[in-house]
Amino acid sequence: MAREGIVAVQQETQATAGDRAFTTPVSEPIQSRRRGVPWRDLAISALTVLYFVFALFPVVWMIILSLKPQDKLFTTYFQFEPTLAAYREIFSGAGGQGGATFLRFFVNSLVVSLGAVLVSLVVGVPAAYAFARWNFRGGESLLFTLLSFRFAPELMVIIPLLVIYRRLGLFDTHLGLIWVYQLITLPLIVWILRSYFQDLTPELEQSALLDGYNRPQAFLKIAVPLILPGLAASGLLAFIFAWNSFIFPFALTGSNAQTVTVGSLSFLGGATPRYNLTAAAALIALIPPLLLALSIQRFLVRGLTFGAVKG
Amino acid sequence: MSSVSAPIARDSHAGTLPVWRRSARPYLLVLPAIALTIGILYPFVLGAMYAFQNYRANRPDSTRWIGLENFQNIFSDPEFFQTALLTAQFAVAATVVETLLGISVALLLARSSTLSRFLERLLIVPLMIAPVIAAIIWRLMMLPTVGVLNYLLSPLGIRPEWTGSPRWALFSIILVDVWTYTPFVALLVLAGLRSLPRAPFEAAAVEGASFWYTFRNLTLPMLWPYILVAVIFRFMDSLKIFDIIQVLTQGGPGDATMSLQVRAFEQAITFSRYSLGSTYMLILWVVVYIATRGLIVVLSRAQARAAGV
Amino acid sequence: MATLTLRAIRKEYGKLVALDGLDLDVGDGEFFVLLGPSGAGKTTTLKCVAGLETPTAGRVEIGGRDVTDAEPNTRHVAMAFENYALYPQYSVYDNIAFPLRSKRYYRPPVEARSVIERVTTTLGIAHLLERMPRELSGGQRQRVALARVLVRPADVLLLDEPLSHLDAKLRATMRAELKSLGDVQRTTSVYVTHDYLEALALGDRIAVLREGSLVQVGTREDLWHRPVDLFVARAFGQPQINVIPGEIVSATGSSTFHSRDGTVTLPLQAPLLAAGTPVDLGLRPRDLILGEMPGMLPIRGQVYVVEPLGRQREVTVEIGENRVAVVTPQEDIASGDQVTISVAPERVLMFDGATGRNIMSDGLPESRMERAVHPEAVGYA
Repeated sequence: MAREGIVAVQQETQATAGDRAFTTPVSEPIQSRRRGVPWRDLAISALTVLYFVFALFPVVWMIILSLKPQDKLFTTYFQFEPTLAAYREIFSGAGGQGGATFLRFFVNSLVVSLGAVLVSLVVGVPAAYAFARWNFRGGESLLFTLLSFRFAPELMVIIPLLVIYRRLGLFDTHLGLIWVYQLITLPLIVWILRSYFQDLTPELEQSALLDGYNRPQAFLKIAVPLILPGLAASGLLAFIFAWNSFIFPFALTGSNAQTVTVGSLSFLGGATPRYNLTAAAALIALIPPLLLALSIQRFLVRGLTFGAVKG
Repeated sequence: MSSVSAPIARDSHAGTLPVWRRSARPYLLVLPAIALTIGILYPFVLGAMYAFQNYRANRPDSTRWIGLENFQNIFSDPEFFQTALLTAQFAVAATVVETLLGISVALLLARSSTLSRFLERLLIVPLMIAPVIAAIIWRLMMLPTVGVLNYLLSPLGIRPEWTGSPRWALFSIILVDVWTYTPFVALLVLAGLRSLPRAPFEAAAVEGASFWYTFRNLTLPMLWPYILVAVIFRFMDSLKIFDIIQVLTQGGPGDATMSLQVRAFEQAITFSRYSLGSTYMLILWVVVYIATRGLIVVLSRAQARAAGV
Repeated sequence: MATLTLRAIRKEYGKLVALDGLDLDVGDGEFFVLLGPSGAGKTTTLKCVAGLETPTAGRVEIGGRDVTDAEPNTRHVAMAFENYALYPQYSVYDNIAFPLRSKRYYRPPVEARSVIERVTTTLGIAHLLERMPRELSGGQRQRVALARVLVRPADVLLLDEPLSHLDAKLRATMRAELKSLGDVQRTTSVYVTHDYLEALALGDRIAVLREGSLVQVGTREDLWHRPVDLFVARAFGQPQINVIPGEIVSATGSSTFHSRDGTVTLPLQAPLLAAGTPVDLGLRPRDLILGEMPGMLPIRGQVYVVEPLGRQREVTVEIGENRVAVVTPQEDIASGDQVTISVAPERVLMFDGATGRNIMSDGLPESRMERAVHPEAVGYA
């Protein structure tokens, strides 16, 4: 057991370059080091695959379900001729409330998420800069308040908003959702960008000042370009969270501004729930955030922990 | 002068900003953020106020202040305690499972074999799917007829009732939450593992330490800040669980899966009891507020530890 | 005329006092060096001149104009940072061209190009114009930072330890190059360093800074031969100045120094001091000669160790409890030899044993407050 352990740790550590313990790939397969079947490696790979089957099978099955023709829904699980009928149907207006098509839900999600992120960027970038470069009174409280928004129970805001929005005519509107989505997107963007600005040495902006630029110019020409990757990534992450939000549109919209997350449920209601349509809808709803997430993978740890962990 | 002798106007007051203008700069930059924050805080405060009234949306004109009556009613209502208990049970169970599973997955992936590098890219799939969509997916899988889970499990002789029975319902909720959020923990711990320095592990290897010994005494303590961050984020988020329950069980069967926010939703939206719903939320909010303060402390310490290690 | 004046500058960071009543006058075109250990306040001083920090109290004047509250970009000041501060997203060319694209120092692209080519050729980096900062070595980056600073007009040039991150050989080369740059010679410059060799080599005048206060300002001769206290004396010279503690014992009419362990006795040219005054004797290793010399004061001791220093040797001589380092070209010295050290009486420095102040400095022109002493008056224009 001890010898096995030593070999494993040796392999673990020798397999690395640089001074990190767990980064570079295993350089040699363990067979060349020991004789016999590599039980340990096999077990690890098996367990890993097991987890990923658990993680990915549901999505795979959804794809299968969405391609099932209606008549075969209840008769077979995996043997059928795949068809795109479900997709055609949801886009042509079946299901939904009041005839609103699924396409409309999709567009709504797009508009509202994009709008929320844009507003948060416009408001959040200068704020993040201020938090990073200055130590001013009330700054900490404001930061803390923003952080607390992220963990606040949504209903706390929704109940009064039901009253306020009806009075202001914002119920079931894009603007209403964009406003409330700030609870999700603004704290994320401010906290993450603040950590990016803090990473910039102030000397670069100081040098720009002495080179003849005023503060706003130094900010735009030097600071912002250097955090552009962080800005893009946090914008995308905020978009993902806005897109995935359910409780806000569920409570605050009707048929006009409803988003895909709520709209996907619409095919389950009524006398005959349409499972294949639901599957198709769910898939369409999950594709945009998934694609975006795959493109910002490196950034995710930093983004998800609000800049606390650089990852 | 340097050889480039361009004449620059030398106005004796050029470029002097009064001191107050300069110190106002940060405030000007955060002004829009403050405005937006107030715009969000206003409904918050309003919501908090509802908790001290007897606001019913279908009878708005009879609204009046009733002080702590809502709280007195709630704290003597067994329903509330059941809901709070269930929420706590869920939060603890989900967080524990996600943490343990997440750490395990991270350890499995840390080996960086070709297989694990490929799979790692797919790690975030469940995490980036909206919880509500995840719930829809699992709900479909749990259907007795169309759903595939029972079909796959029947050869093993297991016929789970999923959302049918109270015990299974809670299990189902936890299952979906674990499915969705385990990648979060795994991602975080993986990042932590990757940041660990090599030298202590080499020293341990030279001294003949076994895998478990190294893990328990070296890896785990160094990973602690990352694990802590993951645990706190997950726990605080699970307290507000709504999406998954709403789709899967709507709080049923009976009251078996009523979490605080689901109950509040039912009271406020279905029964128009805005005040009662707000009371539930205010209580939850106070818990979260205190926890957020603690979180800031933990986060900064975790940050310092992670940087210093 | 671009003179630089700092008047009673005080800078506080909360409870920390970084600068405490600084007074400086730098003449037009003078190359002025600020010397001090880290934490002394040198960079803070530069930042106050540049406008990157605002002093808590005091005045900054450039060319007679009060700029204490002026924005950095209006002060007509250029600064080369210790860590170069090259913009990572721009190429070398764009880095250097950056100031020439601002409204303040704007030059049309064609003119800009010719200026940049001239400056970079002088600095030997003309072949690097298309590279990115991360591809450059330390010495190259330092030169790019310099180029960026020289490419636009400036009343005052501020250089914050520009050579401190270079290896010793490069540092020596750059030192010479720096001083020879015409643009540098013509512009009023303030150069900050913790390396006394740089200070002595480059400075028309040098100011020694310690914990936020000026200890002494003067020419290299002033600071070397007439240090105002032990701190300044120790700051210059390698090996460090030898210090022998003791006290004054008066014989009739003159003062005699007795070392604490009684092994060294020297008659002093001091102004009459009371008997019993504690005195630390300062002897610079390079002022000491091995062997008896007529007209010089003798000290006897035994060689402890001999260390070669290239063509010379550093000989450590034990005299009672004291160890005195002597730098000598003599070759046939060995450990254990009995030797006599000779020192010219006027080279002996005396410091008050309690305060560390040079006993002779009260008779000198007051170097701390250079207000009345304009550099031109002491021959540095």
